[in-house]
Amino acid sequence: MRLVTPLLLIAALLVPTGAHAADRVVAATLDNGLRVLLLEDHRSPIVSFQVWYRVGSRNEQRGATGIAHFLEHLMFKGTPTHGPKQFARLVEENGGQDNAFTSQDVTSYFVNIAADKLDLVIELEADRMQNLTLDPKEIVSEREVVIEERRTRTEDDPGGFLGEEVGSIAFKAHPYGYPIIGWMEDIKRIAPDEIRAFYKTYYVPNNAIVVAVGDFKAPETLEKVRRRFGRIPRGRVPPPVVAVEPSQNGERRVAVKKQAELPIVYLAWHVPSQRSNDAPALEVLSTILAGGRASRLYRDLVYQRQLALEAGGDYSYFAIDPNLFWFWATPMPGQTAETLEKELIAHMDRLKSEPVTEEELARAKNQIEAAMVFQEDSIHRRASLLARFEVIGGFTLKDSFIARIRAVTAADLTRVASTWFAPDKKSIGILQPKE
Amino acid sequence: MTSPRVVRLVVLLLGVLSASTASGEPIAHREVLPNGIVLLVAERPAVPIVAVRVLSRAGAAFDPSDRAGLANLTGALLTRGTAKRTGPELDSAIEFVGGSLEAGAGRDSITVSLAVQKKDMALGLDLMSEVMLSPTFPQAEVARKISEIRAAIKRSDEDPNAIAGRVLSRLMFPGHPYGVPVEGTQESVGRLTRDDVVKFQQEVMRPDTTVIAVVGAVTVAEARREIIGRFGAWARPTSAPRSITEATAPPAPGEETVKRELTQATLMFGRPAIRQTDPDYFPLVVASYVLGGGSASRLYSRVREESGLAYAVYSWVQPSRYGSALFVTSQTRTTEAPKVIVMIREELARMTREPVADKELALAKQYLIGSFPLRLDTSGKVADFLVAIEDLGLGLDYADRYRERIGRVTALDVQRVAAKFFPPAAFSRVVVGEGK
Repeated sequence: MRLVTPLLLIAALLVPTGAHAADRVVAATLDNGLRVLLLEDHRSPIVSFQVWYRVGSRNEQRGATGIAHFLEHLMFKGTPTHGPKQFARLVEENGGQDNAFTSQDVTSYFVNIAADKLDLVIELEADRMQNLTLDPKEIVSEREVVIEERRTRTEDDPGGFLGEEVGSIAFKAHPYGYPIIGWMEDIKRIAPDEIRAFYKTYYVPNNAIVVAVGDFKAPETLEKVRRRFGRIPRGRVPPPVVAVEPSQNGERRVAVKKQAELPIVYLAWHVPSQRSNDAPALEVLSTILAGGRASRLYRDLVYQRQLALEAGGDYSYFAIDPNLFWFWATPMPGQTAETLEKELIAHMDRLKSEPVTEEELARAKNQIEAAMVFQEDSIHRRASLLARFEVIGGFTLKDSFIARIRAVTAADLTRVASTWFAPDKKSIGILQPKE
Repeated sequence: MTSPRVVRLVVLLLGVLSASTASGEPIAHREVLPNGIVLLVAERPAVPIVAVRVLSRAGAAFDPSDRAGLANLTGALLTRGTAKRTGPELDSAIEFVGGSLEAGAGRDSITVSLAVQKKDMALGLDLMSEVMLSPTFPQAEVARKISEIRAAIKRSDEDPNAIAGRVLSRLMFPGHPYGVPVEGTQESVGRLTRDDVVKFQQEVMRPDTTVIAVVGAVTVAEARREIIGRFGAWARPTSAPRSITEATAPPAPGEETVKRELTQATLMFGRPAIRQTDPDYFPLVVASYVLGGGSASRLYSRVREESGLAYAVYSWVQPSRYGSALFVTSQTRTTEAPKVIVMIREELARMTREPVADKELALAKQYLIGSFPLRLDTSGKVADFLVAIEDLGLGLDYADRYRERIGRVTALDVQRVAAKFFPPAAFSRVVVGEGK
């Protein structure tokens, strides 16, 4: 997921990847290609039912950025059977909570609800997978809502604005450089026909994953899902994303002036996806640098030397394609963005030449492993985690995740730092408060 | 990051205080220790983790009037050094086992939160009892934390929601501690000293105003043994605990605009209301839900869905120990701010004039009752809930009572309570934005 504000990045770090045994998951692929993952959890009489479409800003084209997210909004606008506003209303009057999010790689819809309402949710989700109305009138008003959302998240948010700028200079060929919410001009322009075509292309059962965790009998639920979703015809295979980001040759830099109280620094390096053998080391490295108050960036920059109000970093283990390793810092009043840029880079350089301590390595591994256990406490998070692993190659990857993390050595960290954090492969963004 | 209705989740989190479990069984074991600590234990054996909350009634409401931010500073310093360990040693110890130990203050209380795997419970509770009972507040840590809080206050002045919330509290609660920001101001925090912190911790944090909840893979017997062993010797002072006067409605609501160069205006309306101990609280919660609680609400339908004027528009009731408040907020493009203000005022007034429709009432009640179990689906959420209902004096049967009271609310109740609390003229109002 593309999370560009420091707070969200921190939240993402605390909820990373992982594996308890993906033990009792009942997995099936229906005849129409729909992937189904079901996990019984009988602690409470509730269920988390989620539909993940393998489409996000990664699947967009220049001139139509933000279309995946725009469509996500419109998925709440009704079908011929369940008219506008009915979806949320039905969920609420049955005591459920629903929402959705769009990332670079996926668009995900979830309903958390009493387990005896599962049939209703299956009906609603299957209906909007196939029959979305996409009424032009609804598109007109929802466009304004999305524009307001962009104003809140980007135009009026210094961190959000800078993150978007840095992402867009870091990628020149791959769509990971597009903002998920889309450029303002694109949001204003995108035509209803384009949205309809996008829906028809990507919202097909063979491009979706249904995941449910909760108080049900898996064989019975699988039958219900098969009966209802199974009626939806298989679609054509959506076009693959073929763009490959060329190797970066030279540092890139963007400077922004905005109304803000303190400067912000972002650094981003191109790194490989989890398919690479270097991925587990990158995950451990991001925890050593930025996982908690004992981590290097916090202890040195925030705590000991008080150069930064905040400092952190994040690796997106769950990205489908090679993405960025982000660092950020907010200088304390009286400190400069330039100082923080140098300090962040110095931390990377130190990792290249000096092995981390045994204690640091053990702590990071324990933190990653414990985070996996904590996630098991929430049915919503259990379901999301299965889906995330499924998106990057299969839910059973969850089982090998901890073993991969445990195998990382101090020498691996030195090696990946030297391999991936070269000076001419980084993008830098600095936001200065406007006077 | 780009969910369309993420705002609703925020509302739901804020509403957690009015939630509970669906079963009829007691939600937790409760007992009062000889020194006055209330201990609550809920067994959730399935996942091998333990969540613990220690809530001490020592929030910003207890700040001396010339020491705004003192509770917040004290809370933040609890984990920065104890008789046995330095701050960095505490951080390393808890993070080495992948757990977390956090402390901080709100308006009413200081809360210390622990999350550990079951196998690390003894270590986690050792650290937790150290930070509660033997914090040392080293001078260097006090100075460091003061500069950090002052920087955070400076930074929050770029966040329109933070600005609006601060101004609105001042307008709604003049002369009451709730009118002062929990974090204080740059100036007030700059004046705080180590002596202030030591005195506050010794005088205001005491066992007879402390609640401890232990939730997770632990038995009642085990939790009792572990907690009594560590907190049982905490001596109860002979003096009576301090009390705070209840906040009352201001003589006249206020309006303020804070100019900022932004593309949107942030609108925030608020007024003092009532809390869970008042029978009218339940119709008020229903009324707020119909007005702006979910994506079927009147404000969401009119301002967002029909007019496309906002991404975020919602209302909620925020109960606290010494007063409660009712809020309505929205963000809209600068030019449309006057229009949205009118819509919000019209919808508030309509709630006072006409009874809500049967369908709206049924939806709100079914949602509020039916979503209970979802709000308590992790050990951490259950622990938060337990210390909150204890501190607010709501009783362990609050879950059942809440469902029963909400279930009884009629359209006439909603209109009667709306007539009391929703007249637009009674709301204070803040606008942040509108250019330089």
